Amino acid sequence: MAPAPYLVFDGVTKYFGDLEVVAPSFNLDIARNEFIVFLGPSGSGKTTLMRMVGGLETPSSGEIRLRGQAIREPDRDRGMVFQSYSSFPWLTVAQNVAFGMKYRLDLTPDRKKARLDHYLKLVGLSDFSDAYPNKVSGGMRQRIAIARTLAAGSDVLLMDEPFGALDAQRREDLQIELRRIQQQDAKTIIFVTHDVDEAVFLADRIIVFSKRPARMLEEVDIAAELGPDRTLELRDSERFFKLRTQVLKFVRAAAGHDN
Amino acid sequence: MTTKMTATQAIEVDGEGAAMSDEQPQRIARRPRNQFFVFRGTMSKRAQVATSITASVVVIAVWEVATRLGWINSLFLPPPSVTVETLWTMITQKHLLWNAGISTLRVWVAFALSVVMAVPIGIAMSSFRGVGAALEPIVDFIRYLPVPALVPLSIIWFGVGETTKIFLLWLGTFFQLVLLVADDMRRVPQEYVEIAYTVGARPFQMLSDVAFRAMQPSLFDNLRITLGWCWTYLIIAEIVAADNGLGFVIWAARRYMNTSEVMAGVVTIGLIGLLTDQILRLVHKRLFRYL
Ligand SMILES: Nc1ncnc2c1ncn2[C@@H]1O[C@H](COP(=O)(O)OP(=O)(O)OP(=O)(O)O)[C@@H](O)[C@H]1O
Ligand SMILES: [Mg+2]
Repeated sequence: MAPAPYLVFDGVTKYFGDLEVVAPSFNLDIARNEFIVFLGPSGSGKTTLMRMVGGLETPSSGEIRLRGQAIREPDRDRGMVFQSYSSFPWLTVAQNVAFGMKYRLDLTPDRKKARLDHYLKLVGLSDFSDAYPNKVSGGMRQRIAIARTLAAGSDVLLMDEPFGALDAQRREDLQIELRRIQQQDAKTIIFVTHDVDEAVFLADRIIVFSKRPARMLEEVDIAAELGPDRTLELRDSERFFKLRTQVLKFVRAAAGHDN
Repeated sequence: MTTKMTATQAIEVDGEGAAMSDEQPQRIARRPRNQFFVFRGTMSKRAQVATSITASVVVIAVWEVATRLGWINSLFLPPPSVTVETLWTMITQKHLLWNAGISTLRVWVAFALSVVMAVPIGIAMSSFRGVGAALEPIVDFIRYLPVPALVPLSIIWFGVGETTKIFLLWLGTFFQLVLLVADDMRRVPQEYVEIAYTVGARPFQMLSDVAFRAMQPSLFDNLRITLGWCWTYLIIAEIVAADNGLGFVIWAARRYMNTSEVMAGVVTIGLIGLLTDQILRLVHKRLFRYL
């Protein structure tokens, strides 16, 4: 039996003034605990779609539903890692990460402290916990944003090119970690990237978008091919390589695609 | 005499600084020898202080010489030495410090009143469109009224007591400050607001924990600038309606063409301003270490 839809895009369109950003009408069902990756040309409307899930933009028509409830405003059940990965300059690295839990009344101070240490360590920022954001590198600022969002503990994670500024090694480590967290804590994730390797490695399902206005061009079921567990060895496998080539072909087609 | 001493000291410090930078090997050929006219160039703290002091001393020296040699009639502009002397006699015999204290108190009371009102109202104006739409035209209208034009009205309303003075100062600063505060709030990056909301902040929590915090450095700067304006209006207020305070002292001295007392009064205001500004800069540095 197919899992009941958890997050649903139902006939969504989006205009900014006269600019049509999401074409009529975008439909997508996402299951609970599914890892969705958006791929598509720059400016195609991926960020806009994510922001609508986050409740930071309203669809011009149609609606997005989470657990059957139409999304109207931002809340803690949908955490976001913004493309600009900003943090608060007046808070230290640790305070910025802890900010993700600031409004959680269900956690005791001890529990918050433990989680803070855990996520700081996870993104490799333990040694910089007392530094201010303007004193750390762009990659570190991005990791602050990732840790803050993970610490918030949302069920749905909306991640907009979260690993863009990271070096190759850190990126690989965090990909594996993110996949592990997603499996273990049953997170539902929408992840935007321009990196096809990353997309194939992380995704259960990849959505390839057209140029603006965003339309779904291809839908690739990665989970059917690679299964739930993603390891380093998988990266060098024939299966992975074939999928990657196929997705890359779709992405190239999308970039050249005229609406 | 004292001024001369400082002059030599300053030049010595300056000379030392120059010698030190000469000793450093020139690593890059195109690196300029002095940083005076390099756009956003660097300068050692010491060299900066030395330059500030030297510049002030030069101005004072030129002023002294010009009046001593009779280029300028000292009836209109007394030399610095005489001004300092007068300053001293005014402190010891004419309660100058007491008058300065009264003026300072008036400035701070009116300023505090302006701040207490302008900060919440300014924040509300830029946070809630309704409030902004309602208040902006009114504020803009009053903001352009010159304070001196309202002196007669405020005397009719409040007489010549303290209320009038505080009212005039408040009038001159509140309406300007409200718009500055509204602007500071408007400039808080939208991303900060969105981060707060996506981790579950309620609107009021977002305002107090994020937006208000984010605007503080620029708010502080604007408060510092507004405090300076208070002094301008204070003098107007004390000239028209006071029998004490620095404005009164200056105005009274003018009546007898006592230029050196006028100068001494003006210098006192300048010194208070300089001191306040330096203190506030220091506070700014301590409060906003992260900048
Ligand atoms: N608030 C806005 N007002 C007007 N136009 C907007 C707004 N936000 C986005 N757009 C426009 O909508 C289009 C899609 O933008 P979006 O950021 O969603 O693209 P994207 O797919 O995320 O691109 P990238 O891969 O470069 O991040 C762009 O043409 C952009 O200029
Ligand atoms: Mg984007």
